[in-house]
Amino acid sequence: MANPALTLLQDLSSIEDPKLIEWDWISDNFWEDIVPAIQGHIFLSFVSVAIALMISLPTGVLVSRYRKAYPPVTFVTGLLYSIPSLALFGILISVPGITIGPTPVIIALVAYSLLILIRNTVAGLDAVPAETIDAARGMGLTNRQILFRVELPLALPVIVAGIRIATVTIIGIATIGAYIAGGGLGKMIFDGINRSFPTMIITGAVLATALAIIADLSLLGLERYLRPWARRRKT
Amino acid sequence: MIEFRQVSKTYPGSDNPVVRDLSFEVPEGEICVLVGPSGCGKTTTMRMVNRLIEITEGEILIDGEPNTAMSATRLRRKIGYAIQQIGLFPHRTIADNIGTVPHLLGWNKGRIRDRVDELLELVGLSPEEYRDRYPAELSGGQQQRVGVARALAADPPIMLMDEPFGAVDPITRERLQDEFLRIQEDIKKTIVFVTHDIDEAIKMGNKIAILKQGGILAQYDTPETILAYPNSEFVASFVGTDRILKRLSLVRVGDIRLEPANGEAEDLPRIDGNLSVRDALSEIIGSGSTKGVVERDGEKGLLTIDTIEKLSRARDDSRG
Repeated sequence: MANPALTLLQDLSSIEDPKLIEWDWISDNFWEDIVPAIQGHIFLSFVSVAIALMISLPTGVLVSRYRKAYPPVTFVTGLLYSIPSLALFGILISVPGITIGPTPVIIALVAYSLLILIRNTVAGLDAVPAETIDAARGMGLTNRQILFRVELPLALPVIVAGIRIATVTIIGIATIGAYIAGGGLGKMIFDGINRSFPTMIITGAVLATALAIIADLSLLGLERYLRPWARRRKT
Repeated sequence: MIEFRQVSKTYPGSDNPVVRDLSFEVPEGEICVLVGPSGCGKTTTMRMVNRLIEITEGEILIDGEPNTAMSATRLRRKIGYAIQQIGLFPHRTIADNIGTVPHLLGWNKGRIRDRVDELLELVGLSPEEYRDRYPAELSGGQQQRVGVARALAADPPIMLMDEPFGAVDPITRERLQDEFLRIQEDIKKTIVFVTHDIDEAIKMGNKIAILKQGGILAQYDTPETILAYPNSEFVASFVGTDRILKRLSLVRVGDIRLEPANGEAEDLPRIDGNLSVRDALSEIIGSGSTKGVVERDGEKGLLTIDTIEKLSRARDDSRG
């Protein structure tokens, strides 16, 4: 009956020790617990973004060509995006053949990123100037050459912007995946809650946030590195 | 040589062709300008040459071969293509942009590099300064120069140019036109050139094809003949009521026969022999006189309004 969020708050407030961070615990468990949790979290997020990209890029390219497919694709991926994460985990582990662990977490994280990634791929391709494509075709580039040498490179900033949003979202939602034994920093947070041990909660939370920020900035850096033409402006 | 044979284009789902039964020839080494009001199918006509638009009926022969004899991409790599919006690749350097077609044709790096530098020189941009820049770092006029250089890169015998100087201010446009005509004297490409501007057509064209609504060829001839003898009401109104003056703009003062100036020349306006007769006329009228003095090869000639009037009615078509 009890509202889980409320129970959680009560758990937190009933913590006896007012000391929020025990540095000793951090140094004692650094290699044993903290580093593997970070690695697990990076693994979950990276694999999810990679799989999501492998699905979204081709889908985005196809949808930008066959425009009629765009509304249904947005509808389905939008629907996936709107399912609450805990509910989606619940649904997935009740599917026969899927057991708790990283697999359902990765499936859910991929499902969440599809909308953003597909939409940004299409938007990026749409933003490629028509005259640039016309010139490319007029000079005798094949459709494939136009896609890989002209359209995708020019769509890159918008696609990478999508990857940044998706990555940050995924790193956040991945913490909840620990609820179905997905591992990662979420496990540390849940354990901290269960044990009424704020050091674990805060360590997990701060690291998850830091991971999101670092990933975001690295992708920004990558995007700028891949776009030398945008760094220089008209003189 | 490019030969249009009863070419028609009708888009699916439409009853009205945008280009109708078009037949004309573009001789080797000449500029043929397609001109007409918007919706006359001039761009469509040009784009059928390199099959960016496929023909519905008829055929286009290039040096006697139908342009469908090879794949569209192979055909396009043999035809230079320059458009108003330029369409430079923003993510590629100027050198990469110009090297696009040579790269597709598999030239080696050294050869591409030499060709890029040669072309940059040709269009008046210093290779050291511009080769490694990106398009966004260039002015509109410089970008159009690069667009033309890119179209010339693999030295194609044929070029298609769709308002290639359209996106710049009038002064820059005039300079680009002059430069291109100078280049063309050497390279002698067979060019299909699209514009909506009759003045540009008269200036650039060895031949002008005037198209009217529905893609019908109204007249195909040299600029001189079209200005002197428009074959219809439509052509006459399209070339403008100032067609006599336009015709005078095709002749340079230095090229016409003048009366010798004897003594009376002192207080008359001086006319530069490089001016067009039209500009000379303007100078003479502007100075309040009826004649001017042209100095050429150390001799003084007298240009009178009478001479100009006779010239405007003369039947000989000296140009082209």
